[in-house]
Amino acid sequence: MTVLTTERCCKRCRNAQSARSLMAEVHIIGQIIGATGFPQNSLFCKWGIHTGGAWRLLSGLKEGQTQVDMPQIGDMAYWSHPIDLHYTTKGLQGWPKLHLQVWHQDSFGRCQLYGYGYCHVPSSPGQHRLQCATWRPLGSWQDQLAQIFVGGGPQLRTPDLIYSGADRYRLHTVAMGTVELELGVILRHFDRYGVET
Amino acid sequence: MATKMSSPSDVREKINKKGRALKESFGRVRDDKQALVSSDWGLSKENDHTTVEEMAVEEEDPGETLRRSLKAKHMKRKKKLFKEMVLESPPDEENEETAVQEERGEGLQRDDSSPVRSPRDLPPRPVIRPGSSQSETSMKQRVAEKLRAAKSKTASLLEQESIIEPVSRLQSLRDRETLTRFDRDIDQDLRVDEDSSFAARLKFRGAARSAARDKRDEDAPLVSDVEEDLFVIGQSEHDFLEVRRAEYLGYSRRLQRERETVFVPSMRTVPASGKLPENVRPRYLEEEGLYVGERPSVSLTNRNILENRILKQAEGREWFGDDGRIMALPDPIKESSSRPPLFHLEDELDPALHTVYRKALKSKHANRYIAAMGDPQTDYQLDVDVSGLIFSHHPLFSREHVLGARLAQLYDQHLTGKQKKLTHLLTDKLNGLRNTIRNMLELHRGEALSQVTQHRIAEYKQEVRHTRHLRDVEQEKDRALLKNIIRVWKELKTLRDFQRFTNTPYKLFIRREMVDMDQDELEFNNEIVMEVSELRAEAEEDYQRKMSEYRRRHEDWKSWRRKQKALKKKQKKKRQQEDEDEDEESEEELGEEPEKHDSPEKPDMTAVEEQVREKATRIRRKPGEPVLIPELTVSGPVTPNEQCPRAEFARREDVAKRSLFIKVLYNDKEVSRTDSRTLNMDFRVHFGQIFNLKIVNWPESIKLQIFESVGSSSSQLAEVCVPVPESSVLTGSAPSEEMEFSSNQRVTFNHEGVGSGVPFSFEADGTNMQTLLTSGKLSCCVSWAVGMNDVPLAPPSNHPVGGVYSGLMQMDAIACIGASSLNDMKKLGKWAAESRLDPNDPNNASIMQLLSVVSGGEMAVPEYFRLEQLQEEFNFLSDEELQRSRRFRLLMLRSQEVPEFRHFKCVPSVEREISEKVFQEYERRIKEGEIIDTKDHIDAHRALVARYLQRVRESVINRFLIAKHHFILSDVVSEDEVPSIGGAGSGVLGLNLFKLAEPKRPLKPLRKERKKVTAQNLSDGDIKLLVNIIRGYDIPIRRPYTSKPPVSARSARPFTEQFTAPVSSQTPVQGSDWPLGQPLIRPFVEVSFQRSVLQTSTAEGPNPCWNEEIVLPFSAPNGDYCSTSLQSFKDEVFINLFDELLYDVVEDERERGNTIHTRIERHWLGSIKIPFSTIYLQSRIDGTFKVSTPPVLLGYSKERSLGSDGGYDAIRSLSDGTFLSLFITIEPQLVPGETIREKMKEVKFDSQELERLLTACEVFEKEAGRCFSDRPCLTTVIDMNGKTVFVTRFIRPLNPPQKLLDAFPNSPQDTMELVARYVSLIPSLPDSVSFARVCDLWSTCDQFLTLLAGDEEEHAVLLCNYFLFMGKKAWLIIGTAIPEGPTVYVLTYEQSRYLIWNPSTGQHYGQYDIFCPLQTIGCLINTDNVWFNMQPYAAPVRMSFDVSRPKLWKPFFSRAFPDPGLSSVQPESLVYRRTDRAAAVELQDRIEKILREKIMEWRPRHPTRWNRYCISTLRQFLPKLELSGGQEVAEEHRLELQSLLGEYRISGFPLHLPFSEIRPIIEAVHSTGVHKVEAPNAEFALAVYVHPYPSNVLAVWVYIASLVCAH
Repeated sequence: MTVLTTERCCKRCRNAQSARSLMAEVHIIGQIIGATGFPQNSLFCKWGIHTGGAWRLLSGLKEGQTQVDMPQIGDMAYWSHPIDLHYTTKGLQGWPKLHLQVWHQDSFGRCQLYGYGYCHVPSSPGQHRLQCATWRPLGSWQDQLAQIFVGGGPQLRTPDLIYSGADRYRLHTVAMGTVELELGVILRHFDRYGVET
Repeated sequence: MATKMSSPSDVREKINKKGRALKESFGRVRDDKQALVSSDWGLSKENDHTTVEEMAVEEEDPGETLRRSLKAKHMKRKKKLFKEMVLESPPDEENEETAVQEERGEGLQRDDSSPVRSPRDLPPRPVIRPGSSQSETSMKQRVAEKLRAAKSKTASLLEQESIIEPVSRLQSLRDRETLTRFDRDIDQDLRVDEDSSFAARLKFRGAARSAARDKRDEDAPLVSDVEEDLFVIGQSEHDFLEVRRAEYLGYSRRLQRERETVFVPSMRTVPASGKLPENVRPRYLEEEGLYVGERPSVSLTNRNILENRILKQAEGREWFGDDGRIMALPDPIKESSSRPPLFHLEDELDPALHTVYRKALKSKHANRYIAAMGDPQTDYQLDVDVSGLIFSHHPLFSREHVLGARLAQLYDQHLTGKQKKLTHLLTDKLNGLRNTIRNMLELHRGEALSQVTQHRIAEYKQEVRHTRHLRDVEQEKDRALLKNIIRVWKELKTLRDFQRFTNTPYKLFIRREMVDMDQDELEFNNEIVMEVSELRAEAEEDYQRKMSEYRRRHEDWKSWRRKQKALKKKQKKKRQQEDEDEDEESEEELGEEPEKHDSPEKPDMTAVEEQVREKATRIRRKPGEPVLIPELTVSGPVTPNEQCPRAEFARREDVAKRSLFIKVLYNDKEVSRTDSRTLNMDFRVHFGQIFNLKIVNWPESIKLQIFESVGSSSSQLAEVCVPVPESSVLTGSAPSEEMEFSSNQRVTFNHEGVGSGVPFSFEADGTNMQTLLTSGKLSCCVSWAVGMNDVPLAPPSNHPVGGVYSGLMQMDAIACIGASSLNDMKKLGKWAAESRLDPNDPNNASIMQLLSVVSGGEMAVPEYFRLEQLQEEFNFLSDEELQRSRRFRLLMLRSQEVPEFRHFKCVPSVEREISEKVFQEYERRIKEGEIIDTKDHIDAHRALVARYLQRVRESVINRFLIAKHHFILSDVVSEDEVPSIGGAGSGVLGLNLFKLAEPKRPLKPLRKERKKVTAQNLSDGDIKLLVNIIRGYDIPIRRPYTSKPPVSARSARPFTEQFTAPVSSQTPVQGSDWPLGQPLIRPFVEVSFQRSVLQTSTAEGPNPCWNEEIVLPFSAPNGDYCSTSLQSFKDEVFINLFDELLYDVVEDERERGNTIHTRIERHWLGSIKIPFSTIYLQSRIDGTFKVSTPPVLLGYSKERSLGSDGGYDAIRSLSDGTFLSLFITIEPQLVPGETIREKMKEVKFDSQELERLLTACEVFEKEAGRCFSDRPCLTTVIDMNGKTVFVTRFIRPLNPPQKLLDAFPNSPQDTMELVARYVSLIPSLPDSVSFARVCDLWSTCDQFLTLLAGDEEEHAVLLCNYFLFMGKKAWLIIGTAIPEGPTVYVLTYEQSRYLIWNPSTGQHYGQYDIFCPLQTIGCLINTDNVWFNMQPYAAPVRMSFDVSRPKLWKPFFSRAFPDPGLSSVQPESLVYRRTDRAAAVELQDRIEKILREKIMEWRPRHPTRWNRYCISTLRQFLPKLELSGGQEVAEEHRLELQSLLGEYRISGFPLHLPFSEIRPIIEAVHSTGVHKVEAPNAEFALAVYVHPYPSNVLAVWVYIASLVCAH
């Protein structure tokens, strides 16, 4: 996607005036396929879509939680959780991002955080297969010790941090597995506003 | 290494091909050699030879082959190169390297044409010669050895093969061209031994492989030969195997070889001249003063190596700078680390990066019990701190203790008073206010006071007065308290003297503080003066006001007087002139005489001062009097036990025995208890224990129970309820509170203890008796714990009001912000400003502080902040444009599930395809939410009700939206049930096996279970409604129009017979008068549904048999086939019964022979309505239904007593009416969506019932479901407020309208019927339709009567309550009926007969009535109890209603679980409004007008004539019908009509409906089809009658008839 400049901009204004009812729309249709590479199976995922203020959700659920999958065979936990969102926007800022939290449910039915992750929704139309790497905070050595014996673990006090741009370099984290996503993106009327797709 | 397991021929072919390819490639090589290579290169050739040989050996491997061929090419190029070298420059041994270098460069340039050229090709190979010679010698030795070994081993083989050998050798050589060439080209002598060695080595291989190879050559005989030879020779495997040594290349040789390919740059320094272009001196930038960064340090050797290497490359000099050194960037490594250290303290971390350690927790509870807002992982903890308790009275108190406690209490009061310093504060405030007033007055001295200032001064004065009053009260209190303390202390002292021992350590000291006499007096007087002056001013003001008031009134009075006088004069004059008296008139004109007021008294100013002084002396310290400060200590000596009298000693002993402990109860469950502490002499107990309660359930109550134990037995003294703390109350900051408690136990002792609840006296003579109860203070503190990291472990404060809301709240960001209920600080501030809170008042201190904080913060925070600063600039379009988009709006409304748009499946993708009108209706609904449209509704009241119902429905739907999202497994996963072995059901494996062996019985077909279809993937036309009409019973027959009435018709039925069958024997008249000799009746059935109308064929006779199936298409509203929309689908299936009449219209008699010309007319006989939702939910309806027939059917009569002897007929004639046997179902069978009511069971409702009762209900219902799953069981219902209520609370005797009771004073039977009729007249509106099946709501009787619409259960409850009021035994029946499905009926017991009442029709059936629609009885309910039917049969005919037998009826409240005495939710009594007669008449007119217009509208092709004469007759007749309650009075009426309209053929009937709206009436009239009479001379008659019942219940009668002139 490229944003065109000046002369196209003028055209854009004309276009916008001539066809003012044609507003840019984005359809995001896809699924959270599953997760792999986590130390344990039996995972579930909480997800949400974060957009800027210019975006408006027309229909669909923008957050949710998958079921717990306990794979019998193989390492990958499959959720096949549908994502179906319809957005309209008046600007490109705040393109939708998807943030994920992978949780683990242990044999006692207790849940603990296994990873945070986030990825941008692809901005080019078409089918995309995404791999979202995840991480989790490491915490102090006491935390780690406690985690080994009683489970649980450190979590971000403010989960916004997953997708906000704050400096995270002070945070000690461990890499966890990856979440696989398959997102189909349909764009509409973006060319009216000088955005070539 | 054959590629695959392919056939030998394939392999052969492949090998062949490869061989050929090789041949070619080598052929080329050979050509080169031939052309170019001189004999000098022979040795190198030899090398080549070995390689090639190896290659030949492994030729079967294609990959290998390829590699080899590449190698061969490589060789070829190499040779070419050498050739050039040879040609151009003769090899110069000394500066070989440089020369070669140059050569190579040229070669490179020259050989541009060659497509593949890798640098590896380049290194020169002049050293090759010695290397090759070495290898040659070693090889020679090796080969020689080999040869020897081979020779010795296979001597015999050699001998035998000596003939073949050359052949095979030749052959093999032919295969390997190179070898052949080699043999030919190169000198044979040179390589004799090599040759032979090769030959020997190849021989075996050749032999072994010759089989395959020869096959390829199609040399069959050879193959067989070889094979034979093999078998002959092959004695051992050694013949084919060769043991080889591991090949090893000597180290030195290897080095040598490597040297050929490897270039090792030297480590010597390169002279500067070599690195720079010719004739250029190195230039040093540093010396010229330019900055040159420090190079990274590299060791000298490494640098030299690198330089040497680079120089060998083409354009190698480019790497060198002007100074002759390799170009390098400055050293990038910084001296100090720029990255901050990672090991730091926790608090330095950015707050956003904080992590919290969260335990792995089950997330289940958090959401279920406490509406957790944020993370479900948090847990909540309450800290209950029980610090101790102090008794203010205890039964073991001695008298002295009583006094001591009182003293202590007073002293406490004194201390708190002192601490608060209220008096002082108020005095200060008073002074302040006075000063302000004075200042204001001074400021405006001389000037006229503005309005505002005046107003303010008045306000201030008002406040001064108020404050003064408060201060006085306070001062008085203080003084009284002081006096009391002193008095009690004196009493205590006397008591101690009297009893001669001391029990309590209390000692009171009173300190005097001397004051300055003069100043004190001055202040005192000042104060008095001030007060007096104020009072005077006030009094003056008051007087002024009163005076002005008085003056005004006086003026009024005066003017009145004047007027009166004038009037009197006038009157006098008039009287003089005329004698007529007009007194009355004049009196009226003037009105009442105003009171004459007395002028107010002037206040007595002198008295004021006296009053003030008097008060001051009473409540204030006298001037100069010392200030008394009491001080209570507990240091006094207590008489030891030995010195006490016996009674006191006993008391003390008793005290020592006692001990106390406290139980902590959380939600009425004991969670912990304190240690037991002994009671001290001072009756104070210190516990000091903190209990941490980790809670899961929402705290409802926290109780502390105080127990006292003597020895081992303990008894509860008192119970203290502690309020559940606000979520902002946290441990650490929460103050300890003192809770007072008391108990009313009576305790007496025979020792000095005064007891409790017993009168005792301090006086010796026993006067002045007092009674004290055990009481005391418990100091404790309940607060929310603070977890690690200062996280409060408190749940969010908004306690879920309606439980179910919590889900929504979770989504709501704003709801999460406010932690406390006081979150609107602005409002609070406003309120504080308005109510003029005193900032100095310590009571307000906390709020003032809060406000100051808030107002301080308010300034800093702007109203908004912008998150994306540049958004505006880059916007595509403005918000308004976005708003304007219809498409987006539609999409959003759809996703919000707004009812109008919920069912939109497709939204157009282009804006212009969406019409503007889409939103009109929705917008109107939003806008006119409050305006009631009375046009649609004839009756204003009903319009209101409809509005209200609409609103209730909306709120209910909103409430249950959450529940709808509460999915259970079967909602998500749909799978067929796995057939189980041995279980009951359709798919039983075991039974199916038996079925195979069963004999086939084609004459007894069984219903097969149909496959159910989920409703989601259906579309229009997929669903069909099947109506199978089987037969009819007792259809009325036509009667001829005779002018003479039958005699028997006159006989009026006796009144008492009404409950039995109205048997009127009428002789059936054969239709001799009918044209064409038609039979009695030709009925057919017409089914109409969704505007499609189909009918059966015409049968004959009153008991016809059609047995026809009618298929009606079904389309769902808006194409939405989801189960919720189908459930709320309101359409009904109308099944109308008609009689078909044929009239001969042949005009010409002559044509009668060969022409039939008839007109068909049809007459409506009755109808059945079945709502679609019933069919949907029941999935099939099967049975015999009563056709609702009009009470009077003109021209028809019942066929009776044809075979009155027959047993069956006798029974059937008991039931009065016409019946149809029907079977209705939907094809394909839809899965009836689970009603949300069921889901709601998982979502807990609010309830005010006891937890215990609810649990019992659950258990009872579960039990019932387990025993008899088909019998409905109901114990709790949901009322209009969405709360769960126990069902018996709805039953309570309630008065029916008095008018109904008075109607038949001596016939209770008729009264009952009338009451039932009244109830049935209230329109029925099934909840399931109105609330979209969200749930079944029960409204109370008064709500029901106000709403005038309700379900079966409301009707039943009302009827049952009426019957109970009338003194009958009545129960509610929870059961199933046809066609309603699960429903509620009423059962009454009377004269040893049980009667079953259908509350929505008002009809009643005997227990043994076979046509009773009630099919199953599940429960009986009355005021006291609920009984579940445990009998084997559930049909009313086959069961006993004796609820006293627990074997047949299982009671809910039993001895084990007695009735807790539930109060009723119903009102005490019902109040009925009288219905306006005039309004009814008006309504009647309007309905008639509308109906008439409608009928004319329905007959567009014919003129509609109204017969006025008939109409007036009908009108008179309708009230009679109403009076008789719809009973048959038809005979008289018919005759009446007959006589009047003898010449007409009349067909018509009255319709009777309860009134709710106009639409159903029109529908009903339309469905009769009277308007369809097409006879040209038809006339019509229509009459409407509305009968008002109390409370706006209206009965509507519509009489419609068609008249056709008989001739």
